[in-house]
Amino acid sequence: MSAPNCLRGLVRPSATIPISAPRTAAPRVAPIALVRSAPFSTTAINARRQDPNQQGGGGKGHVRQGKKLKLGKFKKNAVESKGKPPLPGERKAYRKRITLSNDNAIPVPWLKDLDADDLASAKNIARVLALPEEVQDQLRASEAFKPTQCWGMFRKPSLLVRKESVDLMNRMQASVDRKQTLRLVVTGDKVTGKSMMLLQAMAHAFLNNWIVIHVPEGQELTTACTEYAPIPNTEPVQYMQPVYVLKLLQAIKRANEKILAKTYTVSGHPELPQNITPNTPLLALCNAAKEPDSAWPVFQALWNELTAQGANRPPILLSLDGLAHVMRVSDYRSPAFELIHSHDLALVRLFTDALGGAVHFSAGGAVLAATSRNNAPRSPSMELSLAQREAEQTAGKEAAEVPQKDPFFRGYDDRVEAVLRSVQVLRLGGVSKLEARALMEYWAASGMLRATVDEKTVTEKWTLAGSGVLGEMERAALLTMRI
Amino acid sequence: MVFIFGVNFHEQKLVKKALESFYALGPQTSARILAKYCIHPRAKIGTLPPKTLTALTAELSTMTIEGDARRIIQENIKRLRDMGTYRGRRHAMGLPVRGQRTKNQTETARKLNRIERRG
Repeated sequence: MSAPNCLRGLVRPSATIPISAPRTAAPRVAPIALVRSAPFSTTAINARRQDPNQQGGGGKGHVRQGKKLKLGKFKKNAVESKGKPPLPGERKAYRKRITLSNDNAIPVPWLKDLDADDLASAKNIARVLALPEEVQDQLRASEAFKPTQCWGMFRKPSLLVRKESVDLMNRMQASVDRKQTLRLVVTGDKVTGKSMMLLQAMAHAFLNNWIVIHVPEGQELTTACTEYAPIPNTEPVQYMQPVYVLKLLQAIKRANEKILAKTYTVSGHPELPQNITPNTPLLALCNAAKEPDSAWPVFQALWNELTAQGANRPPILLSLDGLAHVMRVSDYRSPAFELIHSHDLALVRLFTDALGGAVHFSAGGAVLAATSRNNAPRSPSMELSLAQREAEQTAGKEAAEVPQKDPFFRGYDDRVEAVLRSVQVLRLGGVSKLEARALMEYWAASGMLRATVDEKTVTEKWTLAGSGVLGEMERAALLTMRI
Repeated sequence: MVFIFGVNFHEQKLVKKALESFYALGPQTSARILAKYCIHPRAKIGTLPPKTLTALTAELSTMTIEGDARRIIQENIKRLRDMGTYRGRRHAMGLPVRGQRTKNQTETARKLNRIERRG
């Protein structure tokens, strides 16, 4: 055993010599062999060996200088941490956020706030008007703004008053004067401003102290992404959507707070969790829904109160965007595993009944729906019915021009046709050049359009946008900024 | 954490996925169970009321899933083997049963084809 130790004693002291064996076997020689750190070293190799950070590299005599070939580099870099991932729901909130003002945009000096009758007067056609703060809050509460619209580019959210919007507001006003209900579907090509027309109608309603109930997306009700439950004692069975209805009730409450506080119940509702007596403000009735379980009974009570005959009620606007989604068989399944028709969902049925004319508001009102061209399932019955109504309106009840059903096609839906049998249709297309010019002047005044607004530019953008389709004009002029 | 049929699930897990985690319960059956209790397909476990959870557990306990379903399959294989069929022998040898070639890859067969089949 002693021979290797003796031989080792002759070797130059170095950290590379294995020292574990001598330490146990012969502690006497350890002091010599254990000298690990020389005070200085004369060669690069020794300096490298004494560096404690270098692991296991000491055994080889030669250290390669300069670049080395690195194999499998993708694997080695994969361990880099990428920071904290976003919390659940954070990405969606960012995607769906709505910005209504831009501090970098130039304030437009001549921009006037909307008044109660501004949207209904013909002298405002081809003018841009701003939404007052209060109406902004109300519209935001009822989710009238969409993330795809360009609100975030300007100092204040403002609207272009079109010929069609004045027409629609006048129709709404006329139906309220006659204490009737306007039932109308806004339709038209892609990005022609159908949702914006609904928003204008809602703004008009808020300014004139109507009660507004708005379903922002029809698809949220029928694509089986919110909870549902059968309503007991209904034949055929209807389904409520408690979570969605609770959200809707809260939106109604926030948007119509002032009017609901001034409107009172005519009958008691002892079946609700809070006993509601006659002459309670409707706001208190809305507040009775705290849990999803009680949301549908409360909503039904509220609806019965709003449609109560002979009571003193403000006019009511009921609106829905994305009509095609509620005019088809939904993605929900009944307990017998059959698909549920959308009109068997209680909230959708409430809307379609109103659109079909089964509901009468005591002070009149409007039931509006807008179709969507981007995200809409095919609904042949709806398309056919709307085409028929439109033909009847324009041709003055001449049956020859009215499109008829294809006798060899089976996909029609009688319930949809029954709902759309007597609605009015408002078709939106491009705006006129005058309106286009007003809008472009507003863009230019906000500093968002860096061009002189003259006949030539307006005509160019108007033509590029397929004779004044508003969304295309935005794409042509606003969203392709060449600064 | 929520218990369904004695198994602990995270509250953020989809009900559909939780049901399909049981052996012998696939997309068809889970869709029917969801419809039976009026649960929408994108529901998470955390949103279910306790009443529905107990009903689900009761429903699952009446079905042949997990151990029962495994035993049925094992019995079927055992029966083939006891009769001395070609399929039974191939199962016992851990080789492909349905005429596949065995020159190269028989990983699935080696994993699954045995008398006391695991999954």
